[in-house]
Amino acid sequence: MNLKMKGITKSFGANNVLQGIDFSLSGGEICALLGENGAGKSTLMNILGGVLQADQGTISIDDRLVEFATPLDSLNAGVGFIHQELNLINDLAVYENMFISREIKKKNGLLDIDAMCEETKKVFERIEVDIDPKTMVRDLDASYKQIVEIARALMMNARLIIMDEPTTSLTEPEIEHVFTMMRTLKKQGVGIVFISHKLREVMEFCDRYTVLRDGQMVAHGNVCDTSINELAKFMVGHEVRTESLRQQREYGEEILRLENLSLDKKFKNISLAVHKGEILGVTGLLGDGRTEVFQTVFGCMPEYSGRIFVEGQECKISSVQQAMNQGIGYVPRDRKENGIIKDMNIMENASIAVLPKMTRYGIIDKIRQKKEFNGFVESLRIKLRKSTDLIGSLSGGNQQKVVLAKWLMANPKVLILDNPTQGVDVGAKEDIYNIILELAKQGIAVVILSSEAQEIIRICNRAVVMYHGTIQDELHGDEMKEETIMRLATGGHK
Amino acid sequence: MNGKEKQNKNVLSWLVSQWKNNSLFSIGLVLLFMVILQTLALNYSACESFGECVELWIRNFTNVLRNNAGIGIISLGMTFVIISGGIDLAVGSTLVAVGAVMMVIMDANTIGTLSRFGITGVPAYLIAIVAGILVGLVLGGFTGSLVSWGMIPPFIVTLGTQKIFRSVTQHFMQSVNPKVPAPFCKLANAEIGGYMILPIIYWIITAVILYIVAQKTVFGRQVYAVGSNERTAKLSGVNVNKVKCKVYILMGFLVALTATLTIARIGSMDYANAGAGYELDAIASVVVGGTSFSGGKGSIQGTVMGVMTIAIMNNLLNLWGVPPFLREAFKGAIIIIAVLLQKKEKA
Repeated sequence: MNLKMKGITKSFGANNVLQGIDFSLSGGEICALLGENGAGKSTLMNILGGVLQADQGTISIDDRLVEFATPLDSLNAGVGFIHQELNLINDLAVYENMFISREIKKKNGLLDIDAMCEETKKVFERIEVDIDPKTMVRDLDASYKQIVEIARALMMNARLIIMDEPTTSLTEPEIEHVFTMMRTLKKQGVGIVFISHKLREVMEFCDRYTVLRDGQMVAHGNVCDTSINELAKFMVGHEVRTESLRQQREYGEEILRLENLSLDKKFKNISLAVHKGEILGVTGLLGDGRTEVFQTVFGCMPEYSGRIFVEGQECKISSVQQAMNQGIGYVPRDRKENGIIKDMNIMENASIAVLPKMTRYGIIDKIRQKKEFNGFVESLRIKLRKSTDLIGSLSGGNQQKVVLAKWLMANPKVLILDNPTQGVDVGAKEDIYNIILELAKQGIAVVILSSEAQEIIRICNRAVVMYHGTIQDELHGDEMKEETIMRLATGGHK
Repeated sequence: MNGKEKQNKNVLSWLVSQWKNNSLFSIGLVLLFMVILQTLALNYSACESFGECVELWIRNFTNVLRNNAGIGIISLGMTFVIISGGIDLAVGSTLVAVGAVMMVIMDANTIGTLSRFGITGVPAYLIAIVAGILVGLVLGGFTGSLVSWGMIPPFIVTLGTQKIFRSVTQHFMQSVNPKVPAPFCKLANAEIGGYMILPIIYWIITAVILYIVAQKTVFGRQVYAVGSNERTAKLSGVNVNKVKCKVYILMGFLVALTATLTIARIGSMDYANAGAGYELDAIASVVVGGTSFSGGKGSIQGTVMGVMTIAIMNNLLNLWGVPPFLREAFKGAIIIIAVLLQKKEKA
């Protein structure tokens, strides 16, 4: 297996996404494909996977020119593309997913379930995982779903596997599953393209790297000859800022306090407090319950037990409206599902939460709406063409700023930000950090939920680390270190 | 290529992009096309002057609109329901239930509830209308509560209420036969300038009000928000259940208005068949008017044009002498074609 992509060029309209990229990969090799959002990684891999076609350039496999007009062509040539959003059907069993549209049938036309299970088992044995082919896909955890999808590609004789950010939605032990399997594949001579933002993983698992920036290849080489800092520099084009932005200041009075907050199976005995002007980080691994804790505070899960105090007054919060009336704002994770309304324009997305307060004689006061929104466009530096364009026309970072604006318009006393820099490029990330710091300075109590330890360390005054629905420990100031956070998040101690 | 050709090409590409991307533009063009066909299809041989031709045209046109004013008003409500991500299959049955209540209350003979107390004439009509609207609101609220707080899919809820409302009405009305007092019919049949256009006026007024509600009020925008992304709407402080419930209450109110109009126009009601098929006609008009079946997108203007398009097409089929049994096939075809032409979002 020897893949060579030469001079790949692709543009969408006036936007040159790829400008003459060369990329190669041999069997038994893991190559990291790095770059910021919009650098062209996905486009390049979509071309290799047959999803898109290049304007110029050639692809050859084992020195034979190939052309991929559809994903099926590329699969038939031995390229398996594992997308970030998995393509499995939850309500079918594992073996059914493996054989979808290529089912084995008996002579009488009925499905040959035994044969399919047998084949499935064989592939699983090859990659040394133990999954019962008759398990329903919905009962598998995220890493096994990914493994099933890779197994499916292998069954179709894939000799090259593209993995698009496979670890973003996985927990630590799950990531370990996937990596073990990747090592097995490597030993068997399968080539792997590994797209990731997590440089640490790249250093640990990959043999080579290729870095794209603005549609051009800016660096490539052997992983053993480089360092995390150098890779990060290649990606952004300048030194990455890792310095602490933490600001020491006197906090004001306590704004939000939770006492023994519990919710059936999700989290238990959560007690913490946030003060005026403080930035509190809540971190841990995915599935540690932090999102559920703060969605409860925001009124999404009214069946909690325990007590919530806002400015010293106990209150029962059983609806989002009540939480808002208490001055709580919540910027949710997964912007696309929870943060934006795709059929509405930018300004409406920003003002939907405060709309009821913006009426005159029952009619929305468009002038006031526009005025308030424009104020935030300026202060948050939102880049847009017209405020009446659809929200989808903005980049991820700007969409996130619009979602932030939605809550700032409501004038919250405490602002909860769940994964505030998810899917946001480095430049916008710094912007968002600065906004958060500014908010704290103005006296808002800020809570940041994030699994990026770096993020917590850089901007939070204090961090609470969660593990399996409980608070493992609390870290102050310089106690916050990546190693310490990781140790607590996996159930260890300080 | 010279300047003029280039300009022509620009105009063409503009038209194509508008057709593809602006559903109001495409439905507007289709409607215009229908009106032109209709104008050509009329038989002007009996007209002696141009003025008479115009009058014939207006008379035909207002007839078409008047006959469809009821479905037009219901379609306006259906637009809200569909934008919110729901569906209402019970509008025809609700219409019958409301109509029956109004007729029993206002009947001038022994059946009439009010006439027993000596209340007749305008006061009786007013009370009947108010009662009818209340029934509409209550039935809508019932449906809405089941959809929102009961968390039953609206298709199922309204499939159920469709059966319940009509069946109960038929049961209670089988031995009573109330009549609509003649003066009440003026509400729909009084002439203005020689034309019976009151139903059209009601339709236009309702459409204008609901356009404002949809575009310029908090409730209207929240309906779009809920239909487009319920989770985000909820997390933005929109009381999703309340919004959904209100949408069905609005629908109930509009059905009550239509019921008033229907009994005033016809003077009686056939409880087994009145309003049957209205739900599907309304849904068809809304969809032809560019409202997305998956919610979040659509407009009152589009629906008004959708209703008119289907109505004029029916008229055309009539003018062309297409056999009656085949007309439904044309209706079906235009629904499919209209939606086929609309811009689809890639999955």
